[in-house]
Amino acid sequence: MVYEALDFYDLDSQLTDEEIMVRDMVRGWVDAEVLPKIEKACSEGVFPDEWRVALGEMGVLGAPLEGYGCPGLSYVAYGVICRELERGDSGLRSFASVQGSLAMYPIWDFGSEEQKQKYLPGMASGDLIGCFGLTEPDYGSNPGDMITKAEDKGDHFLLNGAKMWITNGTISDLAVVWAKLDGVIRGFIVETGDEGYSAPEMTGKYSLKASVTSELVFQDCKIPKDRILPGVKGLKGPFSCLNNARFGISWGALGAAQACFSSAKEYSLSRIQFDHPIASYQLVQNKLAWMLREITKGQLLAFELGRKKDNGSWIPEHISLAKMNNVDIALEIAREARDIHGANGILDEYCIMRHMANLESVKTYEGTHDIHNLILGRHITGIQSFTRSL
Amino acid sequence: MVEIAVLLKQVPDTNAKIVVVNGRVDESAIASWVTSPYDEYAFEAALQHTEAAGGSITAITLGPARADKVLKDAAALGVTKLVRIWQDDWQDLDSNQVQSALANAVTAAGADLVYCGKQSADRNQGSTGPGIAEILGAACITEVSESDSAGSYLRPTASGSERVTVSSPAVVTFTKTQNELRRPNVRGIMMAKRAQIEVVGGDVSASQVNFNGHSSPAQKPPGKTYEGSDSVPEVVGLLRDEAKVL
Repeated sequence: MVYEALDFYDLDSQLTDEEIMVRDMVRGWVDAEVLPKIEKACSEGVFPDEWRVALGEMGVLGAPLEGYGCPGLSYVAYGVICRELERGDSGLRSFASVQGSLAMYPIWDFGSEEQKQKYLPGMASGDLIGCFGLTEPDYGSNPGDMITKAEDKGDHFLLNGAKMWITNGTISDLAVVWAKLDGVIRGFIVETGDEGYSAPEMTGKYSLKASVTSELVFQDCKIPKDRILPGVKGLKGPFSCLNNARFGISWGALGAAQACFSSAKEYSLSRIQFDHPIASYQLVQNKLAWMLREITKGQLLAFELGRKKDNGSWIPEHISLAKMNNVDIALEIAREARDIHGANGILDEYCIMRHMANLESVKTYEGTHDIHNLILGRHITGIQSFTRSL
Repeated sequence: MVEIAVLLKQVPDTNAKIVVVNGRVDESAIASWVTSPYDEYAFEAALQHTEAAGGSITAITLGPARADKVLKDAAALGVTKLVRIWQDDWQDLDSNQVQSALANAVTAAGADLVYCGKQSADRNQGSTGPGIAEILGAACITEVSESDSAGSYLRPTASGSERVTVSSPAVVTFTKTQNELRRPNVRGIMMAKRAQIEVVGGDVSASQVNFNGHSSPAQKPPGKTYEGSDSVPEVVGLLRDEAKVL
């Protein structure tokens, strides 16, 4: 089946020539190299290393960053890349998001000149893999209370603590880790092989199976003094990274939704019940029309947010709205698509259940659906409702 | 150092819906245009040839402004000499006119070799390569499936294959090879943004072919339905003798 991207308002016609070429490059690669292999990767629970190599060769890692071997594309182009990758699989897009937005971005924005030159070219080429350590076993939505701490020991820092739900952790060459130094959150670069550092893989997932998820453990982990990110203090550091990753997710989720819509449309046109294709029945058409409606609205959100990111007129709440909405509708679209596929919808012959299971994670990570609602609630009322004295 | 002219034709995406309005294909209804697939094999062969033996490539297309896309795609793979042939008063060029215009551009590019697809995906005439060879007085090898930088070409025949070598000038037309056109990367795409396309016109002789109109393919007759185990022998017979799939 040839993929026909749903673009009801012809929004891709607003892309520049360069953005269209990037779209076609990634779309062609996903068609040729990802879709034929994704089900096997999921069933085996691995992220194929050849995908890391290909992403580096295409030059899409750290897409909107400039200099130090980074591509310097627009944020819209970055969004398009995420959309095309997540049409393949959310785990694939997660790899690229974490590498670019969560590991490369803090080094690019907050790192020293030496750190940028040391790490960024290799990360842009895919030769070095990075991960991002913020979430802890007991602190997810509330990272400000993190336990992981750093101590200044004169000629080195000593890290102690643990991070959890870390994409790319086990396969990473370096981790950008957020820890408290004298009670203030700071960013540190930990390299694989540093004394006292380990990154065991988490197993047993039903979601994002083609993505590596890990714990990061720091047990008297000793790192040199030049590994602290000098340019940021406090939660602004990790939240700046998350804004970029959440932006990518707002586009990526649409890729998963479009894949489910495309499959549901094709299936409904070919599945005969009561002598006619099920696409000819009003209940099914209603579902398809609803999917088209929600995808189109999500695309409008993503495009406008992309332009805002490029012209600098965005605020974090814009990103919260887009991430929350687009993942939410993508998950609901996957569920409706499964319904249209009937029993066949649970088979790995179709992409539906894989996307649905993946999107359950995507709805929760990078700011849960509810936390984004609270961010918007605070924006509307001026009253934060994350915490209170009970 | 070899100079290769690669001829790239922009054609409707092979999956595009073709609509005929008033006896003519409605180009405005074609959502996606691509480089003709056999031309892509020729392009990849040229890239490999120049990588191995040195030299450079000139990418040439004939078409209106939308055809710049195939040249920008070529630029994203490192080609810096890009030529589009067109005059706004050109319409329905026949094969002789196309070959003449392309041959002029090939000569202007100083090409030793011309690489192109064996036929385009839209017109399927297969006349462009041999026609240019005739005009240039060049050797012509058609339907090549394998090539190397030493000027050796493999072409399938009815009873196997034959390997030939050729001295320049020569025109080589490619069928499907083992080597799909490589993907660009972002660095190439960024370079393509700055690519300069030379647009040239030219004099072509009057057409000897009158275009009378396009028409859509005849609709396929409805399929036949067979039910019950009694029909199995008949179905097997039809699959074997008519459809020839068994």
